[in-house]
Amino acid sequence: MSVATGPLPEQTPSEAKRRKPGLVGWVVNRLGMDDIMEDQYNRVVPFHATNYIYCFGGIALVLFIILAATGIMLAVYYQPTPDAAYQSVLDISTHVQFGWWIRSIHRWSAGAMVLLVFVHMLRVFFTGAYKKPRELNWLTGVALLLITMGFGFTGYLLPWDQKAYWATKVGTDIAGTVPVFGHFLLVSLRGGEQISAATLGRFYDLHVLVLPAIIIILLLGHFFMIRRHGISGRL
Amino acid sequence: MTRSSFLKWLIGIVGAVSVAGILYPVLRFLKPPAAVSGAIGQVVNVGVLSSFPAGQLTAVIINDKPAAVQNLNGKYTVYSLICTHLGCVNAIDGDAFKCPCHGSQFSPTGVVTHGPAKLPLPTYHSQTQNGALLVGPIDLSHAAYPAWYKGEFT
Repeated sequence: MSVATGPLPEQTPSEAKRRKPGLVGWVVNRLGMDDIMEDQYNRVVPFHATNYIYCFGGIALVLFIILAATGIMLAVYYQPTPDAAYQSVLDISTHVQFGWWIRSIHRWSAGAMVLLVFVHMLRVFFTGAYKKPRELNWLTGVALLLITMGFGFTGYLLPWDQKAYWATKVGTDIAGTVPVFGHFLLVSLRGGEQISAATLGRFYDLHVLVLPAIIIILLLGHFFMIRRHGISGRL
Repeated sequence: MTRSSFLKWLIGIVGAVSVAGILYPVLRFLKPPAAVSGAIGQVVNVGVLSSFPAGQLTAVIINDKPAAVQNLNGKYTVYSLICTHLGCVNAIDGDAFKCPCHGSQFSPTGVVTHGPAKLPLPTYHSQTQNGALLVGPIDLSHAAYPAWYKGEFT
């Protein structure tokens, strides 16, 4: 192991004065995180960025957190099988206490997140924030937009009603028109030639396991690069 | 109390109320619906027998669904008020039922007397006990009710 295992350096009197008291101070003290924390706390937001149009990305993140929390709750009652899916969604909305509330928050936040991610992209584009050295962050942002839309597309099928069925039929048909790989994409998404129980299972898997894992990794990269680059300069 | 300690308390109280406001619905959500009193399929007490006058239909709510208690000389029958045509709520029309949406009519025994409905009104399992009327699950075995209609009661 190349990790330094020696004791943390003794604190100097001036450091001791800076240390926070209480539980937070205890943890920070054990981890020797003062410098990292201080660096995070002391970042100055440039004046030109104290504008609401610079909030869209942050709002999208808050919506993602809300969606993750409400989605975990909905998964408690949702059943991804053709026999039970529609009824379980109805039960969530009618029988589970506050189920209508949780489901509505999930539904509205989902629509809002797609909108906010898109508006965030427009802000980045029109303030030129994608330019060197931030090209990589723009590219992860494009991937994040596509994944957000993937969440919307897969989540739309889960209530398993007529609208969901036909939206998925049209959406996967479009995937089927891709040259060369089209048919492979179509049967991979549907789990067969037709929309069936396999389709519902695959979309549920994508919606609650695959896409969340990818989006969390990309978000961490996105935020790391923001910290690395700092907020882009003014126009 | 100093201004700073007052503000700390204020922030703490606002924070605690906010957390409680989120936790309360979340915990209620996690409670299984069957454990909630009055949930579907459970026996509910719809009231003392004297609140259902003889020869009349009395509107009641059973598990959030509209229903009517019929008292025929001490014989109590509980009909669902959900129309078998398209799910509107039937109005009580004297001793019979009439749907305001499309004009379906049902006799005092729940049989269709006027279309467009084709299937009779279902009844709930019910019994009297200690001077009260207890109502159980709906009985959908008398006619071939479509899935959406059964879904009204699940």
